[in-house]
Amino acid sequence: MKTASADAGPAVVFADVVKVYNGRVTALDHASFEIARGETVALLGPNGAGKSTAIDTMLGLRTPTSGQVRVLGLTPADAAAAGKIGGMMQTGGLPEGAKVSELIGLFRQLYRGRRSQADLLRLAGLTELADRRVEQLSGGQAQRVRFALALAGQPELLFLDEPTAALDVEARRGFWQSVRTIAGQGTTVLFATHYLDEADANASRIIVVSHGRVLADGTPAQIKAYTSVRTIRFSTPAPDTPVLLGLPGVSGVSADGDAVTIRSGDADATLPALYALARPVRGLEIGGGGLEEALLALTHVDDASSAHPGHSGRPSGPSHPSHPPQTTKAG
Amino acid sequence: MIAFLRFEIVRTLRNVRFLVMLVAFPVLLYLIYAQQHGMSQGLTVATLLLVSMAVYSGMGSAMFASGPQLARERGNGWMRQLRISPISTPGWFAAKLIQAILLIIPGLALLVALALTYGHVHLAAGRLGLLVAVLVLGTIPFCALGLVIGLMFDSQTAQVAQMITLLVLAFLGGIFIQWSSLPHGMQLIGKALPSYHLAQLGWNAAGGRALGLANIAALAAWTAGLAAVALWRWRRESTVA
Repeated sequence: MKTASADAGPAVVFADVVKVYNGRVTALDHASFEIARGETVALLGPNGAGKSTAIDTMLGLRTPTSGQVRVLGLTPADAAAAGKIGGMMQTGGLPEGAKVSELIGLFRQLYRGRRSQADLLRLAGLTELADRRVEQLSGGQAQRVRFALALAGQPELLFLDEPTAALDVEARRGFWQSVRTIAGQGTTVLFATHYLDEADANASRIIVVSHGRVLADGTPAQIKAYTSVRTIRFSTPAPDTPVLLGLPGVSGVSADGDAVTIRSGDADATLPALYALARPVRGLEIGGGGLEEALLALTHVDDASSAHPGHSGRPSGPSHPSHPPQTTKAG
Repeated sequence: MIAFLRFEIVRTLRNVRFLVMLVAFPVLLYLIYAQQHGMSQGLTVATLLLVSMAVYSGMGSAMFASGPQLARERGNGWMRQLRISPISTPGWFAAKLIQAILLIIPGLALLVALALTYGHVHLAAGRLGLLVAVLVLGTIPFCALGLVIGLMFDSQTAQVAQMITLLVLAFLGGIFIQWSSLPHGMQLIGKALPSYHLAQLGWNAAGGRALGLANIAALAAWTAGLAAVALWRWRRESTVA
């Protein structure tokens, strides 16, 4: 049966997608990943990493410059027209003059009433606000209304772009509880965030993006291991890259003239071994800790190594959740 | 589409201040001038002015019913939310047009009521019915025009763009001043505008004269052209941007 084969395929295929705005700004740079049905995946990265562009592309709100995007085996536009996807965008105003209940009622009708009004109000924590006009809502309340709209069609695939930005701590807890309920009912969830904690607590898999590229793709435990990575920078005359790569704890080395950058998962072991080489080491700096630092290190090493011939510094093809995080070994 | 149309009308009707502002200006002008004596184009001033003000009110309501709101809601992201829902482009478009047409009715009803009482206008029921039909159907191109402006301008400029467009349509179309008293070049421009053709149809209907086929054809052409532009802008925005 045609539909059966479509149902069995991945929820999202995002293959070698490039998006260039106005011919100048590259928001997505050959990004690739695949999401299986039923997964809850976090798209993690700093602001401007390309997360929103990636989500807009999967929702059919933007067309990629090149590459392929399939959603539930369909084009994003067809999946949206069939009412199979729900989305909560980062910027999402509400139509003035409408009441919360009318707005949710409209979306239920557009999606042919797949989820009851009471269910939607409860899942989004809006039961007490049903008669409120949208212009009287606080930022957090409006965000909850947009969550209810995203759920109205009982979508097979739910996109959430920085969904908790306007929520306070308690609302956040309630929000993620509802997301877990929905994921438990079989909905595939993809959410964007720039908080590692949020990704770790709510996703079974994290895709790290920066500068429009997929830098790492793995379980939260694997991604968190990055935060223990330290970046050691120094300069030494004529650095011997293979020797440095052999030092304990080192996972990546890049050299640009005298300037060397080493990534190490165990800086305490790397440093004594580095000095034991009895080579001049000047201007040593250690960076690391925290996701931002880890991301900076990843992107830095990535950029430096991409200048080396024979190494693109780019993840190749869609990765699977079982893959370890991609590391960059310069050579 | 019906659900969407009902939703749009309910929330627009809540904005009473907006509706009052739309209708206040033509009603005020009518109150000022309708009791003047005299004849023009075979019509009393009160009848002539009923048609002029109804055309002006209809154009304004049709354009302002959708344009600025659409520009705002494109800006604040609401249109993106609608786009990823199953609502179809033709469904959305039809609902927006019907919404605009329905919103011209309060102003038109008020002006007709004023004309029949305060203006002492006497029109046979058949003639009045034809006039109302002409005025309602004739505003369709202006509904499409409102959508085009709402899709082409941002929330800050859409309002101004509509005001300027409305005034140009009213002056050059011969609604605020007699078309024949315009300079020759402006007459030529005015004669191409949909406002000119709608006013001609309205005056002819009120005067019991035959409706000009050329006027009807011009309005139909404007409707088709503007609707095509609106659809093109809507599609372009949903794929390229």
